[in-house]
Amino acid sequence: MKTIVTIVVACAALAACGPKPITPAEAAKLASADARLAKLYEGACKTCHTNPDSGAPLTHDARAWGPRWAQGEEVLLLHVVQGYKGMPSLGQCVACGPRDLQALVRFMADKEDAK
Amino acid sequence: MKISRRAALTAGSLGVVAAGAGAVSLANREKPEPPAPPVLDQNDRLLWRNWSGIQHAYPAQRAAPASEDELAALLPKAPGPIRAVGAGHSFTALVPTDGTLVSLDNLAGVAGWDGDVAQVWAGTRLGALGPALAEKGRAMPGLPDINKQSLGGAMGTATHGAGKAIPAIHAEAQSLRLATVTGEVIEASPTKNSEIFQAAKVSMGALGVITQAHLATAANRRLHRRVWVEDFEAACDQAEARWAKHRNFEFYAVPFTGLAANISHDETDEAARPRGPDTDSGFLEVLRSCRNLLAFSTPLRKAAAHALLSTAKPEEAVDEGWKLLSTERPVRFNEMEYHLPPEAQIPALKEVVATIEKHRPDVFFPIEVRRIAADDAWLSPFNAGPRGSVAVHCHYKDQYGFMFELIEPIFRRHGGRPHWGKLHSLGAADFAALYPRWKDFLEVRRELDPQGRLLNPFLHKVFGV
Repeated sequence: MKTIVTIVVACAALAACGPKPITPAEAAKLASADARLAKLYEGACKTCHTNPDSGAPLTHDARAWGPRWAQGEEVLLLHVVQGYKGMPSLGQCVACGPRDLQALVRFMADKEDAK
Repeated sequence: MKISRRAALTAGSLGVVAAGAGAVSLANREKPEPPAPPVLDQNDRLLWRNWSGIQHAYPAQRAAPASEDELAALLPKAPGPIRAVGAGHSFTALVPTDGTLVSLDNLAGVAGWDGDVAQVWAGTRLGALGPALAEKGRAMPGLPDINKQSLGGAMGTATHGAGKAIPAIHAEAQSLRLATVTGEVIEASPTKNSEIFQAAKVSMGALGVITQAHLATAANRRLHRRVWVEDFEAACDQAEARWAKHRNFEFYAVPFTGLAANISHDETDEAARPRGPDTDSGFLEVLRSCRNLLAFSTPLRKAAAHALLSTAKPEEAVDEGWKLLSTERPVRFNEMEYHLPPEAQIPALKEVVATIEKHRPDVFFPIEVRRIAADDAWLSPFNAGPRGSVAVHCHYKDQYGFMFELIEPIFRRHGGRPHWGKLHSLGAADFAALYPRWKDFLEVRRELDPQGRLLNPFLHKVFGV
């Protein structure tokens, strides 16, 4: 019994150390420092990526983006351009070029320093 | 709908079976993603694809003008076909072009007010329009079920909400600005360029690019939203009375369940009780699981689905209309919607449900049933009288060809007009018979774009030019 309690406490401690979940209100306040990107994000991505009902990972939600980022940026961008599951092609941003899309994904995944 | 004791027992037994890992796996099985077109074509042009994924193109040029002047300067020079695109929510091939794709994403927001008339840039997404109007205490009286579309796209395809006294979005336009292929920007209203105004309100980007619409607004009232499930036959019997009673009312017929889900909205002064988390996706998941497990037996499927869904707790919420009238749709689908004479709406719906239940056990999406007020735009499906719409959906991974083979003939037999942005197979001769001002529209189109630089192959078929 003591072992089980120790494991439960350890798991709880580990969970507490994990990334803090972001709320939709917190996600909605985020904006890219780049003015062009901020406008593209506001016009297309934000409507879904700040609304949990959309099924899209919330902007800067490390828990949701972690497994997606782990697939590799190339796979993520392929899904963005072609559409994948609930994600519509180009994120419905026709004005976005490939570099914009890459920058937007990095911003939403909180990986803007990725090389 | 009555469920026999035997069917109920069978459904109960089925629940036990379904608890088995194999059944759970079957119920949750995912079809593979449909094949996707390459990201780039042989000329390194980037893919464009519509929301559902069934239309695509590789435009030679993409433009996102930052001003109306920039757009007007671009149109005479841009390689054709020139097609304006919003969110890409049309299921028909309105957008695909190997010429120029024009996005109005940079022409978005409320440009100003003239009393309670909002001057709205056509690139404004409907989801952003609600909060922008609410800042001035105003609102659109009706909004579609999905609010990702741009205002220009919604107007161009006669997109609508649900309410017997509420017209489609384009009908709220008091005037508009239209950039033409000559580079001219035309102001049109009932008193200025009135023929262009009546033609342009619903014109699928075939007359030019609408840059701005001046929209009549209503007070931003709180609405009381109610969602409840009942037997399909009862919903059909009550529908007319409910359209008369409620400000906004629609219902979803749910094939293979004997059920319908009703949604009403009425103005209220009650304190806000925001809508809870989305439950529609869970509802859809149950329907999909029932399909996956029981498509081989309609009686079993009906009994199981009825048992699982008929006791669903009614949902209620009170909030500003723009927060309630539209819903997130995280599951992509394809759709055919026809607008029928009101008296034909329920008979056509019953035929559609019976046909799907007889021939297409793979279908599980609910069928949306709405009523829309009349307006006078020449190509409005609601021209010359209100219409009742019936919209059939299927999951984006499922085959949608049955809509043309089985469903469209029913709609056509009942005098339906197709939604301009949703699947249909009609051509110019069909539309000439459906729209009294068809020839007048074609004349305005010829005057504004004699060389057809705004027409892609789909629109050549639609207009017969």
